[in-house]
Amino acid sequence: MFLGVTGYNHESSAALVDKKGVLVDYYREESLTRIKGDKSFPKRSIQKLLDSNNLKIKDIERVAFYERPLSAFLHTVKEASQYMPRSLGLLTHQFRNFNRSSVSCYLDFARLFKGLEKKLIYSDHHLSHTLTALAYANTKKDICSIVVDGFGDRSTASISQVFDPNNINELWECPYPISLGLFYSSITDYLGFAINEGEYKVMGLSSFGDSNSKSAKLIRDLMDWDSYSNKLVADMSYFDYHISTSNSYSHKLESLLGPARNPFIPLIPGDNDFQRCANVARGAQDLTVYLLRKIFNHAHQLTGSRSFLFSGGVSMNSASIDSLSQLPFVDEIIIPPSPGDAGCAIGAALYGYLKSNSFKYFNIAKPSLFPSVKEIRNEKVLTEKIINDEFTVLETNEDNSFLKAAELISSGEVIGTILSRSETGPRALGNRSLICDGTNKDAVKTLNTVIKNRSPFRPTAPAMRFEIAKKYYQLRPELSECYKSMSATCKCINDNISLEFPTTHVDGTARIQIVDNESSLGKLLFKLEPMKIDILANSSLNVSGDPTCFDLIDGLLVCARTPLRYLLTDLGLLTKKNLY
Amino acid sequence: MKDKNTELSVFFETAHAELASALEMLAACKETNSPNQSFGYFMHAKDEYNHAGCFFKMLSKRGKESSLEIARAFRFVPPSLITKGYISNKGFLIDTMKLKDFIAFVYTNELLAKSSFEKILNLVGPSTNEGAAISNIMKDELRHHGMAKKHFLDHYPALQPWQLLIYRIKETINNKGRKIYDANLKFLDRLLTPLYKSMAYLAGIFARKLNLTEFQREGKNLMNISSHSLL
Repeated sequence: MFLGVTGYNHESSAALVDKKGVLVDYYREESLTRIKGDKSFPKRSIQKLLDSNNLKIKDIERVAFYERPLSAFLHTVKEASQYMPRSLGLLTHQFRNFNRSSVSCYLDFARLFKGLEKKLIYSDHHLSHTLTALAYANTKKDICSIVVDGFGDRSTASISQVFDPNNINELWECPYPISLGLFYSSITDYLGFAINEGEYKVMGLSSFGDSNSKSAKLIRDLMDWDSYSNKLVADMSYFDYHISTSNSYSHKLESLLGPARNPFIPLIPGDNDFQRCANVARGAQDLTVYLLRKIFNHAHQLTGSRSFLFSGGVSMNSASIDSLSQLPFVDEIIIPPSPGDAGCAIGAALYGYLKSNSFKYFNIAKPSLFPSVKEIRNEKVLTEKIINDEFTVLETNEDNSFLKAAELISSGEVIGTILSRSETGPRALGNRSLICDGTNKDAVKTLNTVIKNRSPFRPTAPAMRFEIAKKYYQLRPELSECYKSMSATCKCINDNISLEFPTTHVDGTARIQIVDNESSLGKLLFKLEPMKIDILANSSLNVSGDPTCFDLIDGLLVCARTPLRYLLTDLGLLTKKNLY
Repeated sequence: MKDKNTELSVFFETAHAELASALEMLAACKETNSPNQSFGYFMHAKDEYNHAGCFFKMLSKRGKESSLEIARAFRFVPPSLITKGYISNKGFLIDTMKLKDFIAFVYTNELLAKSSFEKILNLVGPSTNEGAAISNIMKDELRHHGMAKKHFLDHYPALQPWQLLIYRIKETINNKGRKIYDANLKFLDRLLTPLYKSMAYLAGIFARKLNLTEFQREGKNLMNISSHSLL
């Protein structure tokens, strides 16, 4: 068995790959600690992998860490040292926290999982991304990998040619500190949202903005693509992320765009500062799409490839993917369901597998979208009293539960789901979801703002079968895999009724999910068919600010804390007592 | 300005503490093998989540009226629960303590929390809506304290209430000790910061001279780079 681990900088996670190159289990630390964005050493995830799969330390052949820790440290320190004394705060922080950075990975293994430290190897950060994405591709050879993120262990974007899993040549890189990911994060910060958490809010907000507005145009000048040197260029005087621990943008950016937004003031469409913020977000989104198109173009020039793996945090920018798929040389774009750093544990585990000399032939199997091993402990016993006292079991039979849930959805109710295994990535695909009729405006509004307490400008995703999606949306065959994991938005067909759906964003796009018939949502849609409902609104089951639910107890707690009334589980359909 | 900062800090830290309590209870709920205990921890976690929500609302209300600089300083990010020490980086209390000590810890700290809420009640005013919310939270804390006591004595009938009192005194001393330690740490930090900065400056001079071009991977097969290298 091969273990892949991420942590210390972004969300931590652990993945387990077997000797056949199959991803057998995967956990994000935040799912287990319930601390969103938990980046501490993933001890719970590793322990759970060992326990759930009845493994001992000796059963693990190799452990691969997803990046080279010292490289990451030295690159940030060297860059900051150019700006002393302004950067002294950052430098002091880096040196003082040296022992808490990923450099201490070895020691953490030695302390918590004695024996594993001797099996520890290190992969390049972007290589981990590439291998994660490669796992989800149908072909593992002759494909181009593009990684764009905030910062890896040395670069912020790269292009590699994958000849085969053991021959991955890097052809281009964008050195730190120029970073499309950190640019987007800085704008996220400027707009009052938390970095590494609020980027998708900026993406949602951008739909309300005007590309021709002054703010949007000003933003577009902050970064560019130099066609002579084929490099990303940026005016770093607008940013402070490379010299400061507390500020990602500089005063110069505020002089350019106006004051940053107070994070405590809600952003409501129609309010005073809303349009200015939306225009800033629009500018950031436009620039991101423009630069990604340039990077893809360069990747095609370098490799001649027409199939692309796209990963790294920036690939979560689903609103840019449709535009990339329209580039004339693109036949296919593969985005893994967890394209950020948390997903890198999968790539790291595969790296360990590929670096082992135990096998003559290597095979990387395409992972499931729901890889976590089902909870071993008997949830039924543990939750017995909670369910007895706080909930009523409406149905226990699976078929009847789904039918009853469908009836409730058709009557305008919102249902939570805790079914089977949890999803790999940040997007709930039906097993840990909040769902309702995707065409019912009131139900979607209740889901979005009453239950989830989300900002009203943020869209909810529609989920449907492929045949239904074709009727409403301009699907692109290049993105057929992306639609399965909600990785790309698409436009509604012109003058189509889908433009009126509450899941359609203000710019006429939707981040659709195409579901398999065998999946939980597929089964539910089958039950909904006679009720003339073919689209579900789907959002992750959590309260705003918390990680997506992981197990039944998390689901019951969301139900208890919010106005959510129904929960579809493996134990049956539950409803909260004392509803009124 | 200082008052505003202090006020925001009170709500900010209390929200952290309540959310951390919710997570501790949730972890305990999942860790136990008893459905009854699981239920008790579940309900406790639900209350603590609600308390945290109340304090976040109070923080938000004041944050809206603050300057941008102050507001940004009090923006909540969940991982700070660990970095600020509200949740130990060693794990949840249920993982690191014996069950008896854990229950005693809950018993004691619920009471201590109630007394610290009395100060917040005075800050917001007892007759305001916020005051009413805090009064309700204080009632919850007392209830939790009572439940923990019952739970403790049910499970350890040989123990006497006076032994709980000893736990309480011990924990009160520990809390005071932690506050003194924290204050000293902050003082030391202020004292040593110039030294740290000087050292960072010197290290920065060396860092400037680092040649990192050899780490460039352009044209290289990434699978052939040594897997044992940290660089």
